[in-house]
Amino acid sequence: MEFGIKPLGRERLWLWTLLLPTLFGLVFSAFGSLLATIALSFTNWDLLSSPTWAGLKNYIALFTDAKFLKSLSNTAIFSAMYVPGVVIISLLVAVLLNRKIRGIGIFRTAYYLPAVTSAVATALVWNMIYGKDTGILNYVLGLLHLQPICWLCTSHAMVSVVIVNIWGAIGEGMIIFLAGLTAIPREYYEAAMMDGASLTKQFFKITLPLITPSIFFQTLMATINAFQAYDYIYMLTRQGQGDSNIPVVVFSIYRNAWYFGNYGGASAQAIELTVIVAVLMLIYLWLEKRYVFYE
Amino acid sequence: MKKALFSLAMIAILLLSACGSNIGGKTQLSFMMWGDPAELTVWKQIVTDFEAANPNTTVSVEVSDWDSYWTKLKTLLAAKTPPDMFAIDAPLYLDYQSKGVLLNLQPYIDANPGMLDGLYPQTLQAYQTPEGYFGLPRDFQTIVLFYNKAMFDAAGMAYPTADWTWDDLRAAAKKLTLDTNGDGKTDQYGFSFDMWDMEPGYSEAIWSYGGDMINADHTQTLIGSPEARQAWQLLYDMTFVDKSVPDSNTSGQYGGDTFLAGVSAMTPMGHWSVPGYADANLQFDVAPMPKGPAGRYTSVNSAGFVIAKGTKHPAEAFSFLKFVLSNAGQTRLAELGFACPVLQSIAQSSTFLQQKITINQQAFLDALQYARIKPVFKGYDEWASAVGDGMAPVWRGEADLNTTLDEVVIAADAVLAKNK
Repeated sequence: MEFGIKPLGRERLWLWTLLLPTLFGLVFSAFGSLLATIALSFTNWDLLSSPTWAGLKNYIALFTDAKFLKSLSNTAIFSAMYVPGVVIISLLVAVLLNRKIRGIGIFRTAYYLPAVTSAVATALVWNMIYGKDTGILNYVLGLLHLQPICWLCTSHAMVSVVIVNIWGAIGEGMIIFLAGLTAIPREYYEAAMMDGASLTKQFFKITLPLITPSIFFQTLMATINAFQAYDYIYMLTRQGQGDSNIPVVVFSIYRNAWYFGNYGGASAQAIELTVIVAVLMLIYLWLEKRYVFYE
Repeated sequence: MKKALFSLAMIAILLLSACGSNIGGKTQLSFMMWGDPAELTVWKQIVTDFEAANPNTTVSVEVSDWDSYWTKLKTLLAAKTPPDMFAIDAPLYLDYQSKGVLLNLQPYIDANPGMLDGLYPQTLQAYQTPEGYFGLPRDFQTIVLFYNKAMFDAAGMAYPTADWTWDDLRAAAKKLTLDTNGDGKTDQYGFSFDMWDMEPGYSEAIWSYGGDMINADHTQTLIGSPEARQAWQLLYDMTFVDKSVPDSNTSGQYGGDTFLAGVSAMTPMGHWSVPGYADANLQFDVAPMPKGPAGRYTSVNSAGFVIAKGTKHPAEAFSFLKFVLSNAGQTRLAELGFACPVLQSIAQSSTFLQQKITINQQAFLDALQYARIKPVFKGYDEWASAVGDGMAPVWRGEADLNTTLDEVVIAADAVLAKNK
């Protein structure tokens, strides 16, 4: 990434001082657990007895375990819907809220609220909204003389869960985009208006090109979040002995590690998830060089 | 963020459990269990009683909800810093015992002759191994038929009796399934049962139709036998033909337990639900499970406790176990009202039989006469998941019963083969 401002002299000292706590945490906790996970992924470990060497067994299982492959495809489908959804909707919300109208603070707070509310609590509310017979959504559909939908049945659960996850993430995306929008100089819009450009034209010719750094950042974050999505999915689709009707990879990791005494297998799955996200990040960074415009 | 908080909590627990042990010359013991906040209050009372009798020992109790309890316990065991004593569910006992993390209690039991005499033998059986006991039951659960009296009264129907068969239950359930506001949707279901865990519901049905869950040496899953399929078919038909049982998509919107939600009229359930049902202001009572072609069966399971193999104070920890099984400890547990005491004299005393919540407590004890033990074997957790999760599409109404059973039996047998 190229930035316009480079830290100089004393600034550089402060830069490192302020980064130190984060780096410390990164090296000693995140990095340490990553190394431990890599080591454990080559073992059989049930948490209770000592780990034994498993060779590549856990990695071979990544390609043969039908349940895991199912969760991998669920994660892929989830991400394919979630990432564009979050980026587009939160950008639209940010554009709509980037103006001077009365009560703008209330709107911004309302959109940000899900980000600071417990996912477990909001998932319970969503459960009431999605209820097949008792849900608010089907009640509204009934008023409109539409057929009720079984939102959390296997056929619709993925879409329903993606909607909740997007809803929960709009707030954070909105903040990123609002910051990006306020950085665009007003003069550009004033000049465009003088030339008679419509609002739509202004959005596509000025806003969109100038906000590509925020879009890039938000896509990156949304992708990471998509691959780690768990809490809403767990709360809305958990059933049976703890399984889900749309199990995602994190679900599979959790179940294998804590319920099936397969910590090694769970570690291998976690490593695969990390590698997939890392590869996606490399692709994004390559795309960034080509398409992202820094002023 | 949540993960960070979780790890912080873990570190805090590790640090807290690392210190302790001997403070001010007193032996400090830790005891971890799953349960409700209400249970913590009673266990603190038991601890106070114990400490009064054993002035040199203090016990700290930690209660977590069911799901986080097992995660926490496994983390502590993996870190080799387990609590001195912890609670165990009988079906999971062998998974821990076979990994060598539990203390063999046999020498201590031998040193206290007669200490197990007054306990219900059915509750002890689950903890016996060829090398002796590695755990002891603290209370037990039998499954009986709970029914909502108000719903029976409103329908002008007689309450379930000991003469009921599964066919009687099915007929009654049909009558009790109502669309009270006439909007075309069912508002009241006649029956509901736990579609995932065998204990409250389908193991009873399978046994009373002459089937079984698993063979004696735990190498073969039997839930696909012709007899068992009769029971499955009955439950399936009640759910999808009579529609007197909510399918899992429907019960999910009521939080799972439709009896608790006041939406279903009958359910097979254990004593652990009694306080919750009373709190929900349900007017309910209990009756024996119905009879099937092969007789009447129910399930008995016990919650027990074990001592960690690495404890520094095995003798003191054992004296706490002994205290919980004594008259004083069992009386407190009986008052708690979440389970049945394992000590026969207390179970048959007014402490248990005449509780604040006035239901037919005797039915839970009588059930022992026709109860079978909830299976205990190595790999139980994964096997139960193969069965419970495997059958889930059926109960959502998305898969065929018989083909799913065929698949589930294969998957469950694969788990058994792996855990041999």
